[in-house]
Amino acid sequence: MFKNYFIIAWRNLIRNKTFSVLNILGLSVSFGVAVLLCLAALFELSYDSFHENVDDMYQLYSSEQFVKGPEVSLSNPEPMAQVVKNEIPGVHDAVRYLDDSALLVKGENNFTLDGAWVDPGFFSMFTFPVAEGNPQPLAEKSHVAITKAAAKNVFGDAKVLGKTIQLLIDGEQKSFEITSILEDLPENSSLGFELVINFENHVEYENSLGQWNQKYHEVYVQLEPNMSPATFHKNSAEVMKKYLGDSIENTISQGTPPDADGNYVSLRLLPMSDRESMMVKDGLVTANHNMVYLLFGVAFLILIIACVNFTNMSIAKSVQRLKEIGMRKTLGAPKKQLFVQLWCESLIIFLISALLGIILGRICLDTFNTIFRTQVSLDQFASIPMLLGFVFFVLLITFLSGGYPAMIMSRMGTIQALKGKWDSNGKNRLRNALIVVQFCISILFISGTLILWQQTNYMKNKDLGFNKDFVISVPLSGNASSYEFIELFRNELINQPGILSVSGADDNLGYGEDGSISKSVMGFDHKGKNVKTNVLTVDADYVKTLDINLLEGRSFDATRAADSLAFIVNESMAKDLGEERPLEATIMLDSTPFKIIGVVEDYHFEELNKSIEPITLIMNPTWGLYYAYVKVAPRNLTNSYDFIEKTWNRLQPGTELRGSFLNENVDSTFR
Amino acid sequence: MLLQLNNIFKWVNSGGQRIFLLKDINLTVEEGEFISIMGPSGSGKSTLLYLLGMLDGFDEGEYHFLEEPVHTMKEKHRSNLYKEYIGFVFQSYHLLDELTVWENLEMPLLYKKIGSAERKAKVADMLDRFNIVAKKDLFPPQLSGGQQQLVGVARALISNPKLILADEPTGNLNSKQGEEIMELFKQLNSEGVTIIQVTHSEKNASYASRVINLLDGRMI
Repeated sequence: MFKNYFIIAWRNLIRNKTFSVLNILGLSVSFGVAVLLCLAALFELSYDSFHENVDDMYQLYSSEQFVKGPEVSLSNPEPMAQVVKNEIPGVHDAVRYLDDSALLVKGENNFTLDGAWVDPGFFSMFTFPVAEGNPQPLAEKSHVAITKAAAKNVFGDAKVLGKTIQLLIDGEQKSFEITSILEDLPENSSLGFELVINFENHVEYENSLGQWNQKYHEVYVQLEPNMSPATFHKNSAEVMKKYLGDSIENTISQGTPPDADGNYVSLRLLPMSDRESMMVKDGLVTANHNMVYLLFGVAFLILIIACVNFTNMSIAKSVQRLKEIGMRKTLGAPKKQLFVQLWCESLIIFLISALLGIILGRICLDTFNTIFRTQVSLDQFASIPMLLGFVFFVLLITFLSGGYPAMIMSRMGTIQALKGKWDSNGKNRLRNALIVVQFCISILFISGTLILWQQTNYMKNKDLGFNKDFVISVPLSGNASSYEFIELFRNELINQPGILSVSGADDNLGYGEDGSISKSVMGFDHKGKNVKTNVLTVDADYVKTLDINLLEGRSFDATRAADSLAFIVNESMAKDLGEERPLEATIMLDSTPFKIIGVVEDYHFEELNKSIEPITLIMNPTWGLYYAYVKVAPRNLTNSYDFIEKTWNRLQPGTELRGSFLNENVDSTFR
Repeated sequence: MLLQLNNIFKWVNSGGQRIFLLKDINLTVEEGEFISIMGPSGSGKSTLLYLLGMLDGFDEGEYHFLEEPVHTMKEKHRSNLYKEYIGFVFQSYHLLDELTVWENLEMPLLYKKIGSAERKAKVADMLDRFNIVAKKDLFPPQLSGGQQQLVGVARALISNPKLILADEPTGNLNSKQGEEIMELFKQLNSEGVTIIQVTHSEKNASYASRVINLLDGRMI
């Protein structure tokens, strides 16, 4: 009987070529898109799931009460990990983790590696398998572990294990031994690094020893299996009171309200599996899975469009099949059998489409990964539950979208069917509703696309308050003193026609070629009020180079020594200070007076969807600069860029210029 | 006695009025009869035929088929009954265009859940009997009208029915082909198959042993 069904179904497919091709094409495309979107969603959900202890692993963050409301900090002071481990019950281990680049000196060449500065316990907590060498990396302070890919990148095919390398730390070369080689990190790891170094080697370590007010690294905690993060949170408040008593009293004296539990500072834990999708809201760090829901939702809607289309076409098509149905009934076919037969025909179309969809998805995978900046692969599908789920899903939607036409037809009266008359009384309602649904979803998608496009366009063309079109930002490699280097760079470049101005700062605008972004925040008391501001260390010509609008006062002047004790603030900062004449204000930082010499117009130094926060520019030669900024003339951009590159290669042999225009940097923040 | 209709009424309601399709039909058919139903268009011929074939229901009256009360039967039981004992032949053949002659003949047997070997034997037998072995792999549209109707009759006969119901079986055929089909019916009848046909043609009607005339749903 099934053979007969199959024959009929197949011959029908062949006979109605246009119908079949249209349906299969439409369904394949939507299956392909849906498969890709679902893979991307599942990939998002799979972050960090490869760690064996993932269920007990958390990222530590502190939640602190301020007058304006609670604030969270993922950065922690040096003693935190030890205190958490020793004084809060149920903590299996706590390790410090600092993501900071490491400069590897190899003869003439320098390599900037993505470094992770961690405590030795890191490798017992996290599952990053060792490919070669000591299975317990970082046993000694001078031991380092390198990933396979980074080892190949730096040393080529040479033997790496046991090699002594030189890292430039705080201007000095120090020797380290590579004792372990790590497997390359899984794509779905939220932590990323090339070289793992003992935390105590980091340049900040010595100065921050025992200091509770310098927060600069992350802490990861592994709880005992039966411990809950809530208990941890409850127990943390007492411990924090013990170490941060002074600061808490200060907070209380400003009239800050405590949190719901009556605490001012407490520690909380973010599950490791939520780290990739974290979001800060109301003084809590939680997982934001909106993207995942959105991806699943869009995939689902696209499938619905295709299925509704299929259902409608099938119903329309079935008029041609009425005589066959009637005849089969006359020959004694029961309803159930007719239903199964018609449904099988849909099943064939859906199976072909699903298969083609997967193939289509495979073909588009690389492009998809590039456009959506994800690392999805079809291997994610290659597990039994996934495959079963997929088959079940295909059967389900086949049952729904193929089942309805099959049901209508198998219920048709015999005589009516034999006469080939379609009785459409009332039965069109569902079809009409389906068409409306289909149109609504399409309109939703089309208008969504348009709005998104306009929004992006608006953001791209919006005046950000600085010159983004003709300023190139260059991440510095950091091996020479940055001020001297920028001075040298400026002298070499400035006489070239087409180059207008050169400056530097310790942070980038948007995402540059190094893909890194940072934020420095400081807080101080001004006239009895706690003021918080972003801090940017800059070189003298920063305001001029970026064409930031100076509202009052003047910019920094390299020739005035007193300018190292001067601030330039933006409007928001001036407002927060509450000074009517900010230029006359003096701010005390650790009993050192700083004068405000200029006020600049608010500019978007962070992502566009954030409101502009207060920012203070400081010219402090003891703090390093990490980015050079070069303003070029609108003419001959390529020539200017080439010249910058040539100069760079002369000044920094063996390193690569990773410059990018600021508008590219800003565009990257939209992705 | 093969079947018996007692006081059969069938109607439709239209605009508050009851329009009778069949009115007070009383009919007894013995096994081995050859009956023609005649009458002008709209007189209820086809309705009566489908009613006899259990494809269509009625509103009042009793229908006994082989002593069994059709009017009180469940759908499934009824379908088993006509699947077993009744074969249909249609004016426009109603062969399935996607299936070959062989597969068309096989279909009623599939629905009767007959095993593969027996199916093959029966189909081969039928092809032989109607001299269409050479056509077994062709599709219906590749055959002439007469040949298609031949296949139609063969399909009706393949499950050895007691009764063949034919709705203007020669309506789409030329006179020569029509004559052949009627001769075939006559021969089948002589072999013991009961035949009831609806026809317009006096000539075809004359093949029958009994003629029923209908007018406005009544037997006259």
